[in-house]
Amino acid sequence: MVTSTAAKVKVDPRDAKLSMAHFFVAFSALALGGLMGLLQTLVRSGKWELPWGIDYYQILTVHGVLMGLVLTTFFIMGFQYAAVSRTTGGHSNAARRTGWIGFWVMLVGTLMAATMVLLKEASVLYTFYAPLKAHWIFYLGLTFVIVGSWIDGAAQIMTYARWRRNNPGKPSPLLSFMAVINTVMWIIATLGVAATVLFQLLPWSLGLVPTVNVLVSRTLFWYFGHPLVYFWLLPAYMCWYAIIPKIIGGKIFSDSLARLSFILFLLFSIPVGFHHQLTEPGIDPAWKFFQVILTFMVVIPSLMTAFSLFATFERYGRSKGARGLFGWFKVLPWGDARFIVPFIGMAAFIPAGAGGIINASNQMDQVVHNTIWITGHFHLTAATSVVLTFFGISYWLVPHLTGRKLTKAMNKLAIIQGWVWFIGMAFMSGAMHFQGLLGGPRRSAFSTYGGSEQAAEWIPYQIAQAVGGTILFLGIILVLIIFVNLAFFAPKGEEEFPVAEAENLEEKAPMVFENWKLWLGIAAALILFAYTIPFIDIIQNAPPGSKGFQTWSKW
Amino acid sequence: MAKTELNTKQKTEIDDRSSLKGTLASVFFLGIFIIVTWVSVYYLFVDRF
Ligand code: HEM
Ligand SMILES: [Cu+2]
Repeated sequence: MVTSTAAKVKVDPRDAKLSMAHFFVAFSALALGGLMGLLQTLVRSGKWELPWGIDYYQILTVHGVLMGLVLTTFFIMGFQYAAVSRTTGGHSNAARRTGWIGFWVMLVGTLMAATMVLLKEASVLYTFYAPLKAHWIFYLGLTFVIVGSWIDGAAQIMTYARWRRNNPGKPSPLLSFMAVINTVMWIIATLGVAATVLFQLLPWSLGLVPTVNVLVSRTLFWYFGHPLVYFWLLPAYMCWYAIIPKIIGGKIFSDSLARLSFILFLLFSIPVGFHHQLTEPGIDPAWKFFQVILTFMVVIPSLMTAFSLFATFERYGRSKGARGLFGWFKVLPWGDARFIVPFIGMAAFIPAGAGGIINASNQMDQVVHNTIWITGHFHLTAATSVVLTFFGISYWLVPHLTGRKLTKAMNKLAIIQGWVWFIGMAFMSGAMHFQGLLGGPRRSAFSTYGGSEQAAEWIPYQIAQAVGGTILFLGIILVLIIFVNLAFFAPKGEEEFPVAEAENLEEKAPMVFENWKLWLGIAAALILFAYTIPFIDIIQNAPPGSKGFQTWSKW
Repeated sequence: MAKTELNTKQKTEIDDRSSLKGTLASVFFLGIFIIVTWVSVYYLFVDRF
């Protein structure tokens, strides 16, 4: 199967080391965060209580921060760094040094924030919404994580820029192009969260200013918060568009379509944060309406992606002689973990995307807002589509980087892992969706709400979530076994880094896709248009600022 | 002669290999799924508010 010369192209071992450093942090976060997830579902079942004075909202903060921020950011930076190295011929010494600096700054920031959470100084959940107030070291740690990620991302941009200089007039390698789009989106988006942390939360937690403008901080947070979820998703799309076709033995349906959809994500992911604030008073409904329209524009690249993936699969199947309407489906390589684990992720994106369209619809948001439906939704998007794809990637990338092989036995275990996750999530996320439709709140420990009849209806769903959570935790143990095997114990050998080719090689991607002035200009125009007037309005008509609150129990 | 030709059950072979009809069916299924879930929650909204 591995015959072409491309299979021999390896990530430079020095680059491999930095990628692996990222993955060790990411998978440690998965281990600890997964345990917290399990404990949350057990507490919420009402059958079990946390020992030693540990508080539900503390472990919920640990879970959200480790899973939503640490696992994702470290995995993505490690993966994109390797993908750029693989497709451009390797990073320069300067880029590599930049990458290491970014990695360490992120890690130090993570440890600072984690320490404060463990000391019960920062049970503010991963969204750190004001007026909940954490210790200033928590916010300083977050600043380090953000700045570190910028430095880390700069390494990818440096190498991309060098490739462009050395290959004038040529479209850049698809995976590098996609990685850079995602990094650029991340940098633009994190400006918002950096602004609220540096100029509002940090001075406030240090006691330099007595109060905080809550709505400004939330608006800056969600300016970042929505592109955050696309920052998680786009690396998965990199795998679906540009890697999976090679794994199944097919071709990319269209290189240009893939690039166009990434550009559309860059343009439409940022000026849409208000769709998380639809129930928030103090924002003019007309601007909410405008941002909801932009939100729905994201449906376009999403459906382009769905079409393109179906087409890749069908083309491949028919080239193998498959017939009929769905004959191609049967000939896909169902015994290959590198394919099936991300495929389960793709399938999960169908209900996940449908749920997202419901969330973004103003009226329907009144039904689901702040209910556990939302948690069910992003355990399909982030905790299934995205992380299963990440697991599927690491099943070949980790051995590629460590010079080992994915053995038959590990391949089998990885397939089992994918199905265990699917079953666990069907229970947990399914029950969360239904409980949410019945009004069950998210971010809530077990409570009978004073014997309320409605709250009693929720308890069976919470028990189903504990069943699902237990199965999912089993899935995490399997991932960790496979990861440790591939990093340290698997037999030495060569594992391919699959990079697919486009079906039509003569058709070069239009160079306009690499015109950053144009796309950054449009992105900036959309952001300024969507935010300037409402933001001025929010500041000018602000209520008095709020002092800080610490609602959680201390050690 | 002509008669036997008429009787042959041969259909014109269209090239099955370049067909994307499965993709078309799949995206239609996807669209319908999205609309059905959306409409069901919409009715929940209308019922409650
Ligand atoms: C063993 C697997 C997992 C279990 C059992 C689990 C369970 C849970 C539960 C029960 C909650 C909500 C609790 C509440 O709202 O009161 C939650 C929240 C959350 N989970 Fe997970 N989860 C798992 C894996 C993941 C993964 C892989 C990710 C991300 C990639 C993730 C990201 C999150 C985030 C961001 C929250 C929101 C925290 C908040 O509302 O502050 N989870 N999880
Ligand atoms: Cu959003």
